[in-house]
Amino acid sequence: MVVDASADDGEARLVVFTTISSATVLGVEGQPVTVEAHVSSGLPGFSIVGLPDTACREARDRVRAALLSSGCQWPQKRVTVNLAPSGVRKVGSGLDLAIALALLVADDQLGVECLDGLAAVGELGLDGTVRGVPGIVPAVDAITADELVVARDVAHLVGLVTDAKVRAVATLHEAVAALAGEDPWPPLPPRPDPDPPTRVPDLADVRGQHAARRALEIAAAGGHHLLMVGPPGAGKTMLARRLPGLLPRLDPAQSLAVTKIHSAAGLSLPSDRLSADPPFRDPHHSTTMVALIGGGAPTLRPGEVSCATHGVLFLDELGEFPPHVLDALRQPLEQGSIRISRAAASVVLPAHFLLVAAMNPCPCGEANRPGYCRCSDRERARYRRRLSGPLLDRFDLRIDVTRPDTNRLLGGEPGASTATVAARVAAARARAAGRGVRCNAELADARLEAATPLDAGATALLDTALRVGSLTARGLTRVRRLALTIADLAGTEAPLTAEHVGMALALRSEPLTRSEAA
Amino acid sequence: MRGADVGFATALASLPKVGPARLARLLDLGEPGEVFERVCTGALGDEPGLVEALGASRADLLASWRHHARAMDPEGLGRLHHDLGIRLLCAADAAYPDAFRTDPEPPRLLWVAGDIGAVRSPAVAIVGARRCTRYGHDVARRFGRELASAGVTVVSGLALGIDAAAHAGVLDVEEAGAPPVGVVGTGLDVVYPRRNAGLWHSVAQCGVLLSEAPPGASAEPWRFPARNRLIAALADIVVVVESTERGGSLYTVDEAMARDVEVRAVPGPVNAPSSAGTNRLLADGAAPALGTGELLESLGVVADVPGGAGRAEQPVYRDPDEVEVLDILTTGSVTFDELAERSGLGLERLGLVTARLQAEGVVQRSGGWYERRG
Repeated sequence: MVVDASADDGEARLVVFTTISSATVLGVEGQPVTVEAHVSSGLPGFSIVGLPDTACREARDRVRAALLSSGCQWPQKRVTVNLAPSGVRKVGSGLDLAIALALLVADDQLGVECLDGLAAVGELGLDGTVRGVPGIVPAVDAITADELVVARDVAHLVGLVTDAKVRAVATLHEAVAALAGEDPWPPLPPRPDPDPPTRVPDLADVRGQHAARRALEIAAAGGHHLLMVGPPGAGKTMLARRLPGLLPRLDPAQSLAVTKIHSAAGLSLPSDRLSADPPFRDPHHSTTMVALIGGGAPTLRPGEVSCATHGVLFLDELGEFPPHVLDALRQPLEQGSIRISRAAASVVLPAHFLLVAAMNPCPCGEANRPGYCRCSDRERARYRRRLSGPLLDRFDLRIDVTRPDTNRLLGGEPGASTATVAARVAAARARAAGRGVRCNAELADARLEAATPLDAGATALLDTALRVGSLTARGLTRVRRLALTIADLAGTEAPLTAEHVGMALALRSEPLTRSEAA
Repeated sequence: MRGADVGFATALASLPKVGPARLARLLDLGEPGEVFERVCTGALGDEPGLVEALGASRADLLASWRHHARAMDPEGLGRLHHDLGIRLLCAADAAYPDAFRTDPEPPRLLWVAGDIGAVRSPAVAIVGARRCTRYGHDVARRFGRELASAGVTVVSGLALGIDAAAHAGVLDVEEAGAPPVGVVGTGLDVVYPRRNAGLWHSVAQCGVLLSEAPPGASAEPWRFPARNRLIAALADIVVVVESTERGGSLYTVDEAMARDVEVRAVPGPVNAPSSAGTNRLLADGAAPALGTGELLESLGVVADVPGGAGRAEQPVYRDPDEVEVLDILTTGSVTFDELAERSGLGLERLGLVTARLQAEGVVQRSGGWYERRG
């Protein structure tokens, strides 16, 4: 607080000025914000400057009501709140608590020393309650402070990501009382019961579908994007839901990154820990471009591709997604991130996901079976055109899933469980790590040839496949990459054999091409 | 048909909503030139035959004809025939096929591209589904090849699928066999379907293309059943290779039965929709078409046909796993999973075997289904 009693004109003019730390969110990163309050004599009024958005500007009304409900005075003076740095847009209601505290100090209702090293993030209710806000995890991650005042219901979550001492309050009154030294800080709420571990469906539930199960295993081990084509009821969704269980658990850095993204997107988070489960996101095909890619106003909120980071993005009914939405996936698929630029700001959102897509082969769903489809050539061609070639190219694994025989559904042997397969995946990933990459999909094309020597049988098979045209030059790289993962899973050393290559060829069909009978 | 009549007759046949029946009534009224003049001037309409053929919308139709006829250039149409190398035949021409002379519903006008001498007896029509399986395709092609090399004319409709396969078989024989006869539903200068363009031109070059539709006529749905009647009329035997329960080739069967032409069907798996129509025909009493030998016998042709085995296969060494997979595939299309379960091979091993068989061209994959070829 600065008290400037200048006596130039013979009349004391009191200028009071305070600051407190807080933060807001842009994209998936927190932006530190210093809240400055300035109270001076003059016509009573209240203004917020420093690029607040609507929700932030409305803080004025919430703070006023909350102060009055908490037994504090509303200063009958001229109040200016500045949100520094003033060039950055501030969004949301998370600055309410900081504004209220700064105001109370500036108005001399609280001692100036109590703001030293203090930060606050939270929204105020009209009755003075303090609430958590979406994006609180990245926001507090950006704050450096000794003490951090947050809402009671997010205290444990915040404690996972911040080094500051967490002060959990349920109401503004509790915070004021503690800062004034009238009451001690309320104790942290009891640790919530540990959330039941998220149950990932087990792979052993899937009967039959040997090829598809193997494809899942390879996708998890090598980070290969997977396209499943098959009629309704073939179990495509069931298979996709079992993929996250095969992926390695997230390491602490990945957990934090995922938690920050999910918090910024306003998704519900486990309250007691950073989740190490790879995320699984399955947006519906009516999803808009902004919801899928990110950039929703006002925070340039992360979209589904970012929420699926370090996990699986499952697009069911791929053919039903609008083509322009699908084509927008190409940048994140290539770079693992996506740059969102708007007039106000530009952010880079992480988008490093494993893409799994499912679709019917044609509108009636039977096109794959010779002699069974009822669709006209035109209908099938129109359906095929919905997927652009470049997008189709991103799928290393393209499998056809057929409806399993009912006898096998009832009587078949259960296959390997998720735990067994996940162990094989981990071993294969350890081999990939020996090449300096997390998985083979990240291996640069230039290094692929050296990493995948072929034995004589493999060379002969690829030769024939290239000659008869069942394999293209572009497909060759992809097949070698797949075969490398297959070899990693089998635990065999280089060179690749004909069986590795043969398996790769079998799992990479040319989906949606019509059987050229004529 | 000669001179100016070609242009006038073509103009009459090109009027909107003129099919075989209405065209016949129009030509019954007199010389084509004279009738065309009456269409243009509107001095037409009370003739009893025409009244019946035009039905309730007679006034509208006549007005529409008059409107269109005035915009036509019969002389230009005549020249067009010359430029395209298309001939127009009617019953008065010596070259008009004899098979049509005795037909209950002969084409009054027949457009011809190629050598009309190719239309001769004995003839077998090979028809079937556009969307066919590899099995149907291979059977049609083999029948086409073997019949042509035995000197039997193969008639078909140049549609996708079975029709195209049959004629592709005929063209396999080249010089040595009977030339192909294609009966199409569009004008001879309108290649339909476009994907068959290559085959279309080959058939016109090696054999003959026939159409009841004037040059420029597009692929209207009603033209195809009418075309099927011509196929039935030209054939001594109609062989249906594959057809669904309500396939278009069953029109050809109906027309064949109306003409007492023998109908044979190729048996298929009972669980395949693509063979439901042919299997039904067999159940209804059609004779099965099991091989070219029986067809030739029924036609009374004595020819030396390699005993049903198709091209002589060279013995290829196969490892036991490949043999096993090929054995499983003889029962029809099978998925990768089912192959794995029935062969007991590991997925890697099976991937290798199928990839090898595919590369050799012995097995093909359509979607998730594996099929044997040939």
